[in-house]
Amino acid sequence: MATWTIYLSGLVPLALIAAGLVPSRSADRQPQAMLRLARAATTIAFGASLAAATLFFIAETASARGLVLAAGGIGLSIYYDALSAVISLLVSFVGMLVISYSRNYLDGDPGHGRFIKWLCLTLAAVFTLTIAGNLLLFTIAWAASSLSLHKLLVFYKDRRAARLAARKKFIASRLGDLCLIATMVLVYLSFGSLDFATVFSAANAMGDAGILPPHTHLIAVFLVLGAMLKSAQFPFHGWLTEVMETPTPVSALLHAGIINAGGFLILRFSDVVSLSVPALEALAVIGGFTALFGSVVMLTQTSIKVRLAWSTISQMGFMMLQCGLGAFSAAALHIVAHSLYKAHAFLSAGSIIDISRASWVARPHGNPHPLRLVLALAGAVGLTWGVSLAFGASLTRAPGVFALGAILVMGVTHLVANAIDERPSAFVILRGVGLAAGVAVLYFALQLGAELIMTGALPEKQALRGPLDLAIVGTVIVLFGAVTVLQNTMPYRMGEPRWQAIYVHLFNGLYVNALTNRFVQRWWPVDSTAATTKGANA
Amino acid sequence: MSQQQAQPMPTTIEPVDPNREATRPFPVRPAPPAVDLERALAKARTRIPPLWPLKSFVAVNPYLGLSSERFEEASQTLKRVTGANMVMPRDYYRARIAEGRIADEDLQQALTAVQSLVDAPNSLSELKDAIAKEADYAQASFVTVADVVDRTRGTSTGLLVVEEISKWCAAYWDEGQAAWQMPWRQLSPYRAWRAAAAFDRTASVMGIRGFQEAVAALPDDPVSTVKFVIEALGLYSQTLDGYLYRALYDIRGWTAYARYLGWWEELEGQDNDTVVELLAIRLAWDYGLFTVHRDQDLNSAWQSAVMQMREAALAPQADRDLMLDSILQGAFDAACQREFLDKLIVAQPPSKETTTRKAVQAAFCIDVRSEIYRRALESVAPETQTIGFAGFFGIPIEYVPIGKRKGPAHCPVLITPKFVVRETVEEVNKEERTIIFGLRLLRRRAATAWKSFKNSAVSSFVYVETIGLGFAAKLVSDSIGMTRTVTDPNTDGLDHRDLVRIAPDIDPGVLLGRETGFTETMRIDTAEAVLRAMSMTESFARLVLLAGHGSTTVNNPHASGYDCGACGGNPGEANARVTAAILNDPKVRSTLKDRGIEIPEDTWFLGGLHDTTTDEVTIFDRGKIPTSHEEDVRRLQVWLAKAASIARTERSASLNVGSDDVDAAIMQRSRDWSQVRPEWGLARNAAFIAAPRERTRGLNLNGRSFLHDYDWRQDRDWGVLELIMTAPMVVANWINLQYYGSSVDAEAFSSGNKVLHNVVGTLGVLEGNGGDLRVGLPRQAVDDGQKLFHEPLRLNVFLEAPIEQIDAVLVKHANVRELVDNRWLHLFALADEGKTCLAYESVGNWTPVRTSAS
Repeated sequence: MATWTIYLSGLVPLALIAAGLVPSRSADRQPQAMLRLARAATTIAFGASLAAATLFFIAETASARGLVLAAGGIGLSIYYDALSAVISLLVSFVGMLVISYSRNYLDGDPGHGRFIKWLCLTLAAVFTLTIAGNLLLFTIAWAASSLSLHKLLVFYKDRRAARLAARKKFIASRLGDLCLIATMVLVYLSFGSLDFATVFSAANAMGDAGILPPHTHLIAVFLVLGAMLKSAQFPFHGWLTEVMETPTPVSALLHAGIINAGGFLILRFSDVVSLSVPALEALAVIGGFTALFGSVVMLTQTSIKVRLAWSTISQMGFMMLQCGLGAFSAAALHIVAHSLYKAHAFLSAGSIIDISRASWVARPHGNPHPLRLVLALAGAVGLTWGVSLAFGASLTRAPGVFALGAILVMGVTHLVANAIDERPSAFVILRGVGLAAGVAVLYFALQLGAELIMTGALPEKQALRGPLDLAIVGTVIVLFGAVTVLQNTMPYRMGEPRWQAIYVHLFNGLYVNALTNRFVQRWWPVDSTAATTKGANA
Repeated sequence: MSQQQAQPMPTTIEPVDPNREATRPFPVRPAPPAVDLERALAKARTRIPPLWPLKSFVAVNPYLGLSSERFEEASQTLKRVTGANMVMPRDYYRARIAEGRIADEDLQQALTAVQSLVDAPNSLSELKDAIAKEADYAQASFVTVADVVDRTRGTSTGLLVVEEISKWCAAYWDEGQAAWQMPWRQLSPYRAWRAAAAFDRTASVMGIRGFQEAVAALPDDPVSTVKFVIEALGLYSQTLDGYLYRALYDIRGWTAYARYLGWWEELEGQDNDTVVELLAIRLAWDYGLFTVHRDQDLNSAWQSAVMQMREAALAPQADRDLMLDSILQGAFDAACQREFLDKLIVAQPPSKETTTRKAVQAAFCIDVRSEIYRRALESVAPETQTIGFAGFFGIPIEYVPIGKRKGPAHCPVLITPKFVVRETVEEVNKEERTIIFGLRLLRRRAATAWKSFKNSAVSSFVYVETIGLGFAAKLVSDSIGMTRTVTDPNTDGLDHRDLVRIAPDIDPGVLLGRETGFTETMRIDTAEAVLRAMSMTESFARLVLLAGHGSTTVNNPHASGYDCGACGGNPGEANARVTAAILNDPKVRSTLKDRGIEIPEDTWFLGGLHDTTTDEVTIFDRGKIPTSHEEDVRRLQVWLAKAASIARTERSASLNVGSDDVDAAIMQRSRDWSQVRPEWGLARNAAFIAAPRERTRGLNLNGRSFLHDYDWRQDRDWGVLELIMTAPMVVANWINLQYYGSSVDAEAFSSGNKVLHNVVGTLGVLEGNGGDLRVGLPRQAVDDGQKLFHEPLRLNVFLEAPIEQIDAVLVKHANVRELVDNRWLHLFALADEGKTCLAYESVGNWTPVRTSAS
């Protein structure tokens, strides 16, 4: 059965590439034929990856390998484990929907066929990434995904802003590629192979024996850097908020598929990364900061797509924080859940006017009851505690889980606090508490499920590894708590100049992007046509 | 006279001594006199037309600020000041000539009609030679400091200025996107901007050091700032108008929104300074850039720019190529007129309506989309008479949805609502109604808490992890059109069983101190006015259907743009139901009888809604129909369904519906979240005809005409003619020019590509990452991706009325006369039972253009 899994998943990139190989000109000349081809390819892709995943989970093996056209650990080999199963299914699902959406959305556009073609190739690259069996293939897929995405980012080449944003992304991507190449060299030096199965079992064996493989920290640092660049972590986030210069389906695919590659990289190498405590700690710090930075900036943004982009930055940060805290299965769950949510959020971004027309209840005037946060907190802690007990998940078992549990409490607190507004009503509060209870139950059920599915593919939750770990966990809880309180009290403090200044700086994303723009325009100006062609062809 | 005019005009620019400049910061020339400034400011206020928010998006004439100039002059002005085009590229007209659409006679007609600004061709052949050459247009003469900085330093400061102002405006006017709102929203725009500018370091991060300090030195109020900057920039009085227009043009989207915010005050004749506040912000940027970047290069470049602007203002040079294009546009218009006249003016007009009583009269909005459906209905059921009238049925109401305190205005944007009507639930007692209202409110509040959970800083992580997976199912169901992306805001928070019982409440009542509904006197007066305006004072059928219209689309920010413009970008359901209810009131009918309008006892009015996306027509208040009429209504519904299918088939040809099952394909379109062209809206509109239906009955007008029923013989004091020319005709002109502008210069007057739209502040769209708020229609509303679907034509208005009376209305209403005299529309009169057509030249001067052969 495992063999079938390999064959089926191997079929997917082939189908997508076959559709993507149609020359742009032919595709543009006959967009309807191109669409039929692409829809067939993505339907086959989804069907095949669904079948592959089903067979895989029925077989209950930890991982499957297939060596097709490969020798010496490199070539077209496949490494398929629970992580591949879940993420590749996600990619093909989102891919199918995005292609289907693009059929009517770009109807009539002179580049419709070409657009579909590049979507197929991008999907093929991302899918290959999820099942690649060795680091060389992985790196090629990694670079290919950003190169084909680039074609989509400059789909409207005449748009200056599109070229500027694509250029920033291009720079970030090439740096990311370098990180992967460096990783490749170091992995080969350390393990003598680029084959994932070989490398991971060697790393596990050394880890179990308490030996640190050579170059572990350096490898981990490059992996972390690569992930930061790919998943738009601070300070490399600037490009993500500016790629609205391309049709909405690309944003959906980017935010639901491609952006996850950084997280996937960490998860794929979790056996190696988890051996390096400093790397994990760095991941936690960067991820935690990006999560808070992104989500607070998000609050100040005024357009739907930019808001969604900041939301992605922060969600990716949160996922990195989960990795850093050793909660790898939670991070995998986060990737999947966020992708589905964000794909829908982008594709339905035009509905914001309906949402806004329905949101006509103004907040009742006056100040909220002073005890509301306390009340809400008490309720939320109780709720979360109760549910966690029911699921037999002790919050003290691992620090990572504890921190994430605390964040759950804060989220639920926020929900309940908002239900207790300036004019408390039993109906609203009961409904809020009911929803909060539902959230808590779902949360634990899903975490448990993710852990179960990912057993074998991802490392177990990590225990406390030292005082710095404790400090990080403590800081995370304090900062996330501070932001929760801040958000609930913010509207009442905006008269103070200090808060006004903070507002303006956050509204501008702390000027990181302005600085990047200036830098890029200075060294790689977009206005000259020569540079355009170079950018487009690169 | 002003001081400047006494000054000799320097012919060369003196070299600037930098040391001397340093000691004398703003040496250039004395400030323009206050009176000139005030005049310029007054003009600047009205240069940019308003922009309605997406919740009630209505068509606006993009050239509203230019209507005091003749069409071809305005084209020159626009190009000279802003660089925008008011006509199509030359190739477009060449192609129309090549395909024979524009004939020689059309070119000749346009050539004769043009009021030449510059040496016009003397003959047709000269014209043809001239347009065969490649056009070479002059560049815009007016610039901002940002433009000059970019020119001298090779930067892209102009874009930065627009970007920053747009970002700021979005935060200031945000209608609910940001959870953490700008702290200065209670201040006036300019003061709020200064407060933010004190903290905002973007300029200095971008290398414009000292900007914050420069701006901090400006006066505290907008008018003084404008004055101060004009003085500092050394602008001449004569250039103020152009410079201020140019400065606002950069941020025309937000300026348009600012104008909208003051629109109601403007309608009532009050001044609103929101536009001036924005102007001050724009000028403060110019001032800041001027101060920061001031060196010898910039100084001399700016001085020559100032001179260039002065020259352009004092002795504007008309661009000959642009004028040729205006002539070509005139020829295209003439071709269209010819096509219409071929249909309208025929030897044997269809015989006058027989006197037998019609089974059904069905009134639809004058909207061009109604024409297709009316024709279909008449073909299915010849015993039906259809009527065209403005879709708000002459009743300007504010319609307050259940649970709300205020509601949108259901009337054309040129007037303000006169009545407040509440939405209510019928067939329930008072307590139940209170419960339903209260429950909706509470559900909204619970939904608000949930939304906050979803969108807040920390809780959003928890939201994603718990709810995110559920979107897999939602993605699938939305993709196949099984579900709507979000709940319909009109029905959100109401139980399904209550939805069918929702109706407008016309009984008098009070809502938060405001009177709602209609008293008996109001009903009678309204009923009489409506019937007279519809030329419907006799021969009522057994059933009279009043059908408003709305559209059905999902995931479409511009959805309201497809709804009824006469109802202020809302569906016309409420107005139709209110009108029908009033006309069914026995008391109203008995009083109307005394006033000379006798409605037979067996006449029943039905309120309905024509869905322009699907062509379905819904009849409301079925429960109130007398049993005697049930059979008639059943028969009517069969006709309506047949007509819908015919109309869909006709429309499907242009919608590129490849399916065999056209009905299903069109329905699917209305539910498709990825559909960017759910319908064509009012694209291809080209004519406005106010005449009895007999003139157009049986003609296939291809859904290109606004049809208004009007019988001048029934118009007792010419009040109806006056109403038609001042309201529906002007609205049609706005719609026509909105489509025109979005077609001829997409960059300037359309909102751009829908697939790049990014809704900002839940009120408008940006195209892509940022830039200014976009005005106008999306590209997808006027083209099919490859070529224009809409034909940019000025509206041809055909009024069947005595020319003396038309002249009288023009004389009385200067603003309407301006539109006609300056050829923002072409006016024609139909005479002699529609057998003759006269073209308007000027008041008192009409030329016969066509008479039927007989």
